[in-house]
Amino acid sequence: MSIIKMIGKAATGLAALALLSSGPAFAEPAAYPVKVVTLVTHSSPGGGSDVFLREMTKYLGKYINATFVVENVQGGSGAKAMARVASAPADGSVFYATTPTYIYTSLMSKPQSTYKDMQPLVNFFLDSEVIFTRTDGPFKSLKDVIDHAKKERGKWGAANPASLERQAAEQLKRVAGVNAAIVTHEGGGDMMLNVMNGTLDIGIGEIQELRSQLDAGKIKLLATFNPERIVDKPDVPTVKESGFDVSFVKFRGLAGPKGLADATAAIWDKAVIEVLNDPEYKKAYSAEVLVAKPIDHKEYPGFVNNFATTTEEFLKTTGAIK
Amino acid sequence: MATFWDIFHLLTETPIFFVAIIGLTWGIMGGALPGISASITMALVLPFTYAMDPAQAIALLACVYIGAEYGGSIPAILIRTPGTNSSAATVIDGYEMNRQGRAGEALGISLMSGVVGSLFGLAMLILLTEPLSWLALAFTPASYFGLGILGLSVIASMSGGSLIKGLCAATVGLMISTVGTDPISGVTRFTFDVPDLIGGIEPVLVMVGLFALTELMSQSGSVGMARLNASIRIKLPSWQMMNKLKRSQFIGCILGLFEGLTPGGGGSIAAFMSYNEARRWSKTPQLFGKGSEEGVAAPETANNTVASTAMIPLLSFGIPSSNSTAVLLGGLLMHGLIPGPRLFEQSAQVIDSIYVGSFIAIIAQIGVGIVILPACIWLVNRPRHYRAGFIFALILSGIYTLNNSLFDLGIALGLGVVGFFMRLARFPVLPMILGVVLGHMVESSYRRSLVLSGGDLRVFLEDPIAVALLSLALIFIVFSLAREIRDARKAKLKEAHS
Repeated sequence: MSIIKMIGKAATGLAALALLSSGPAFAEPAAYPVKVVTLVTHSSPGGGSDVFLREMTKYLGKYINATFVVENVQGGSGAKAMARVASAPADGSVFYATTPTYIYTSLMSKPQSTYKDMQPLVNFFLDSEVIFTRTDGPFKSLKDVIDHAKKERGKWGAANPASLERQAAEQLKRVAGVNAAIVTHEGGGDMMLNVMNGTLDIGIGEIQELRSQLDAGKIKLLATFNPERIVDKPDVPTVKESGFDVSFVKFRGLAGPKGLADATAAIWDKAVIEVLNDPEYKKAYSAEVLVAKPIDHKEYPGFVNNFATTTEEFLKTTGAIK
Repeated sequence: MATFWDIFHLLTETPIFFVAIIGLTWGIMGGALPGISASITMALVLPFTYAMDPAQAIALLACVYIGAEYGGSIPAILIRTPGTNSSAATVIDGYEMNRQGRAGEALGISLMSGVVGSLFGLAMLILLTEPLSWLALAFTPASYFGLGILGLSVIASMSGGSLIKGLCAATVGLMISTVGTDPISGVTRFTFDVPDLIGGIEPVLVMVGLFALTELMSQSGSVGMARLNASIRIKLPSWQMMNKLKRSQFIGCILGLFEGLTPGGGGSIAAFMSYNEARRWSKTPQLFGKGSEEGVAAPETANNTVASTAMIPLLSFGIPSSNSTAVLLGGLLMHGLIPGPRLFEQSAQVIDSIYVGSFIAIIAQIGVGIVILPACIWLVNRPRHYRAGFIFALILSGIYTLNNSLFDLGIALGLGVVGFFMRLARFPVLPMILGVVLGHMVESSYRRSLVLSGGDLRVFLEDPIAVALLSLALIFIVFSLAREIRDARKAKLKEAHS
């Protein structure tokens, strides 16, 4: 969207100015082959990946000598954004903000360009996927929920139809061997209402979307699908610790057109670690319960492909794709 | 709760005043451009709010929202193109009034009704956020299904004489709403491997195609339709007129309040239903569809009320009930503000500036309207060949900017042709639009309910809200049918006598 792009440029320019004038003297940012780097996201302005990119680019300028522009290419759950990035030049000027969504869209909608047409670059974060319930409800632990679902049909919510949350719920149901209706929603807000009014036993979603009700004490976390406990919420066990061998990672990183020079990718490897250690940024992302998980350009393709293979198998066993 | 002193202090501070006026003006402009919805108008200013003080940034977005909800009615009245989804109902009588040379009057009524609705919505937001927010929680998927069906029941009385044709059109609309990604399983349906269809066909394309493009086509076919409104003056409604509109505005306020609280059509259900109710309770229902002032006032009050009341679930739960409030949520999160009960305690200044900014914007709406509306009327009263070309370009560029997609243009143009033939065959287009707007909500809440109940249809009878809404819908349908049969009999009797 060209107007958004222009405004995005203006905004990044402003942010860069603000950084120049107020930031303490940091080490010289690394030289970069292009002046302007466009970061494409399929989310709308204000949506998950959009906020992630805009926040991150505020700090990234300190470590990579380029201007960062966020471009929102909405439509087709990422299909359009993938097509945009896959056909861009591989000179380090265009990247796509990856989340599991792009794998799901690639597998389920079979667009012209898929995740296979792009090269995963680096990873920044893991989002914490959690199981939550209403505070004044009957469930005190994940075990209660499962026990309930053994006796009668459980009612579990997942934030989006073809998503990691859905997959997590299905896996948990299978591993625990219980009967539960898995109700998908369109976004976390919609599901939150149904958890709060007791229509659903539990909801599965991203912790970011729950913060307001979590702060207000209306809902509580029962477990996280992360492989390890969330640093900020040490009391919340992992699903694995609760006795069900299911764990998931929702990654947030970048992917670019195929054929990016190793030297350019190496600049990113270094910058990711530096920006994640930036004290101000650390404060900002810790508040959002994002878990820093830098993965460099050599390992990231393997990580993403592994995720895609697992997902494909899962979708095939559930009959969602052939 | 803020003291009056705090509010007075905020009011007299210059920035909030400017922020409100700028936001409002931008909102009206964006809302008035066909294809640029309220949410896009808000999204366009979002990056600018980065560098701003959080309280002002949020007030700006809220004012843009108010402006855009109002602005949508301007093209609805002047060029038969609803600028936003929720102004589709305004087209019916608003455009008719324009054709009768009463554009200034129609715009004046929509302006003042908008102000009434916004003020009512704001009062509810300030005074009753807490108790009303719990109402939003009472809605289960089954209740949403009831709400959607109630919205669809309006078709029965909007079919313009032929229920069969109305139902046919509505069915086509419902079919269009099934294109795209399945809301429950996530598989793609009826996309024929076209990536542009994965996200479905947006209601705005259907509205622009069926309303505006069809109108342009028929106009260019008719020879020398005289332009009656030589006057470009805005005629604000007199006290007598406001008194006459009281009932329809009241209906708009109440329905707008409920729609704002519940995630759904983002104002379109309230607008259509209040149009329908205003006709039912009007002293002159026969004028509806033929340029009734009440037919403009009711939907305009409703959709402006929604712009304020939709903030109740947003601020108290962080749950956006429409695309526009989703952008507002994005704005809050960008500034590190987490909506919820604690927002009211921790960031009282932000809340106050939303209230104050909205209030300024609502009052300023009258002034801004009086200034820009004559120019708009003048513009659409140019010689027909220039005007048609201008509107055509405006609409198509609006549609194109939506997703930067030529494919969308093709869909809108194709639907324009469909609409043209529907008009020739006297098929009403409104039921089709309702079908497109509501189809998704009806389908997804129906299927979600059945997943929850394990396929047991009794789920709709066990939920009290669903039962109430579904019975209301049934009553509406039966009444409309009875009326239609009665009218048909009367017509027959007349024929027999003559």
